[in-house]
Amino acid sequence: MHERTAGLAASLRSVFRREHKLVKAVDGVTFSIARGERVGFLGPNGAGKTTTLKMLTGLLHPTSGTIDVAGHVPQRREAAFLDQIMLVMGQKQQLIWDLPPADTFELNRAVYRVPRDRYDATVNELTELLELGDLVKKPTRELSLGERMKCELVAALIHQPKVLFLDEPTIGLDVSTQVKVRDFIRSYNERYGATLMLTSHYMDDVAALCPRVIVIDKGRLTFDGSLDELVRNVRPEKRLTLHFRGDVGDDALSPLGQIIERSEGQVVLQVAQSELAAAVSRALATLDVVDLTVEAAPLEEVMSELFTRGRAARAREAGREPDEAE
Amino acid sequence: MRLERHLAVLRANLRLSFLLAMQYRWEFLLDGAMSLLWTAAAIVPLYLVFEERPRIAGWTYGEALLVMGWFTLLDGLLKGAINPSLVTVIEQIRTGTLDFVLLKPADAQFLVSTARFKPWRLLALGASIAIFVYAFSLLGTGPTWGGVAQALAMLAAGIVVLYSVWILVISVAFRAVRIDNLRYLFEAVFEAGRWPSTVFKGVLSFVFTFVIPLALMTTYPAEALLGTLPWERFAAAWAGALVFAAVARGVWLRSIGSYTSASS
Repeated sequence: MHERTAGLAASLRSVFRREHKLVKAVDGVTFSIARGERVGFLGPNGAGKTTTLKMLTGLLHPTSGTIDVAGHVPQRREAAFLDQIMLVMGQKQQLIWDLPPADTFELNRAVYRVPRDRYDATVNELTELLELGDLVKKPTRELSLGERMKCELVAALIHQPKVLFLDEPTIGLDVSTQVKVRDFIRSYNERYGATLMLTSHYMDDVAALCPRVIVIDKGRLTFDGSLDELVRNVRPEKRLTLHFRGDVGDDALSPLGQIIERSEGQVVLQVAQSELAAAVSRALATLDVVDLTVEAAPLEEVMSELFTRGRAARAREAGREPDEAE
Repeated sequence: MRLERHLAVLRANLRLSFLLAMQYRWEFLLDGAMSLLWTAAAIVPLYLVFEERPRIAGWTYGEALLVMGWFTLLDGLLKGAINPSLVTVIEQIRTGTLDFVLLKPADAQFLVSTARFKPWRLLALGASIAIFVYAFSLLGTGPTWGGVAQALAMLAAGIVVLYSVWILVISVAFRAVRIDNLRYLFEAVFEAGRWPSTVFKGVLSFVFTFVIPLALMTTYPAEALLGTLPWERFAAAWAGALVFAAVARGVWLRSIGSYTSASS
């Protein structure tokens, strides 16, 4: 890739002399996904998530390694492969801007050779699930972001793909539309037994949809397993929230665990898994507890801790081997 | 199955282009009217030049008008069937939405080439026929059936070359991303096709015969109509057109392989 520093001078320099630097976007990532699985694909910005999805869909050609999706090599772009997959991108749209979404659907019907009756049934079902109604007959440019995204989903699913890649499908959507899109994706997976791979910055999407997560960071695979396992590994401590009557000092609370949040009549404590039972019974014995909940740490925090650790580990490595640039 | 799919895509894209044309019918009607006006205006310099001299580089006014007729036809084709798709694909490369084209189970070159048409530009077809009729009335003769057949076959070769040049231009876009200038350069060079190729001498003659073979696109078909195009030249032109097409296809496939998309 070509890179330059910001600014006019650098910009002028780059017109005449481009500095090129080879960046490995994805390096040594290995995983396999079973048919019908829903997998969250996570990583900080620039981790290589989109690059991986583009390789899995045949858009980018890997320099080395092998990829097999539904028995095909993606980069060959065989019709039998492309007929079975789709990539939905929250930040790019295929709908024709000046025409109603229904016209893009028609184009896709032609491209995928979907018989008319099956096409009608699919479009009806999808538009009903997404509560689109007659919106598909309005020019795309007159639709809101959320309406457009829903129509994008319909356009992407007209050929009923068996493998669906979703790159930030809920980005920029309001909370209620996010929930709707999420429910829709789940019901598509259940109805058609489709395999799903999803990237999202909204951890709620991942928590609601994906029993399994794959984490990559700087192009390397750092975790592959269940969401629970990830949380247990990174943040084994639990969140203990207590609501109590009366005035209680910090000195009475701190023996129970580490205080994270404190307000009138309420405290959130971080307690190690092994000490949880003891902490709960002690709280019940010493405080006038009205209500009590135990939860895992929020996913956002778990992820940010995981990425921070990743950065720290890379910094250590770089420190040991100063010759090896990152 | 493959052919059927591609025909269905072509039909769907034509339908969309008509819908778009209807959506903005004033723009497109004006577009068509302007192109007719330009064609009429373009005949003026030709007329003025021939008023001074009866023959230029061996061509009479009537004969030169035939070249003009083929140019008008090809120009309409370029602006009605080739350029709209070109503009679309360049934008897709820049914004990364070419991803959606490459995700479709059909030949990418076909999808890209048939993306958009400007139906009103078909008016150029009528304009070119009018020019042919006028030219032959000046010449006082008519073309033979054999001449018409050879001219149409020559036109087909011309379209193959024009299309191949255009595929090569797009391939450049994969590397350079923005190539508006290249497009304008090509259009400017193409304008030279309105003159009989023997008008140009030296380097220009070489360029217009072999690099961007304008001679093949407009002068040869005109000669075919006049019955003066030797069959050897016809065969050579077709061979050249096929080489152009093969090279364009090869370069295109390489470009797709090195497509880097735009980041999310």
